[in-house]
Amino acid sequence: MHEMSLASALMEEIDRISRQNNILRIDEVELRIGVLKQVVPQVMEEAFRAVSLGTLAEGAILRQVEIGARALCEDCGMEFVPAPDDFLCPVCGKFSRNLLEGDEILLGSLTCVT
Amino acid sequence: MKINVVKNVLQANDIVAAKNRQVFQEAGVLAVNLISSPGSGKTTLLEKTIPALADQGPSIVIVGDLQTTRDAERVADSAFQVTQINTGMSCHLYANQIAESLPGLELAQAYFLFIENVGNLVCPGEFDLGENLKVILLSIPEGDDKVAKYPTVFRAADMVLLTKIDLLGAFSYDLARVENDLRKLNPTAPLVPFSATTGQGMGEWLGWLAEQRKTKVGAQARFIHE
Repeated sequence: MHEMSLASALMEEIDRISRQNNILRIDEVELRIGVLKQVVPQVMEEAFRAVSLGTLAEGAILRQVEIGARALCEDCGMEFVPAPDDFLCPVCGKFSRNLLEGDEILLGSLTCVT
Repeated sequence: MKINVVKNVLQANDIVAAKNRQVFQEAGVLAVNLISSPGSGKTTLLEKTIPALADQGPSIVIVGDLQTTRDAERVADSAFQVTQINTGMSCHLYANQIAESLPGLELAQAYFLFIENVGNLVCPGEFDLGENLKVILLSIPEGDDKVAKYPTVFRAADMVLLTKIDLLGAFSYDLARVENDLRKLNPTAPLVPFSATTGQGMGEWLGWLAEQRKTKVGAQARFIHE
């Protein structure tokens, strides 16, 4: 359900970059999303379609690139894949805050006409 | 033409949140973001907490709701100042909305700032408001499976209050399951069984707030308030 909030934030960022670069039309938006954000691609697609109506990005392709989760155990140094609801190291069972990636939502690139 | 950006989509919000945090620090006020589902007891918690904190210092409340000023009215008598933000259809508060409400508040006169977020266990977890602490309320009637279902907010929690604990006997509820699920996400946040009706957990909650205020705003606060 947070896709709408995230899509609105994405659209604000796209607006800002469009103004800075005098963009006339946007053909593709690349969005990189960590799996821990628990974004549902179809819902994000719908949300983006809704927030981009009447903007330079209306009709643009939203390319969603998933970023896997990786964490480094603070205790035994093992690199592991945390689940959204489980950050315990599978080897030693200790909790790790040492998340390397997988919790981000990044605007990667815009393919556009200026 | 392709423009490479690689920018955090939430950055605009985070920048405003960082400014809010600085304002709170300079005012010597501890800012607490209260997050929970609708109806888990955020406003009731404030109704009980604010009078109990009165001997430590005054509290300001910012209430976020889709509609109505009902929650603000409920805490208006006990709080030093209350302001209501109606978010319309938005299911969470933004840092910007907090920033816009700050000029009307005498933050330097207050010890605690409670931000009652819109009732929702998902979106408020994504949007930093500049608070010092995130407190998540999880009420017993919501069930013992919610920590794993909404991991993002529980991962970010500084404290989890298990509210309406006096109703425990009325439900089939496994407290150990909640604790187990929480520890897979968050090893440090205290998990406090709490009841606004019986007062269970109130002492621990108030003591924790006082301690947090000392460590988070400490010397700065003494300089302003003495």
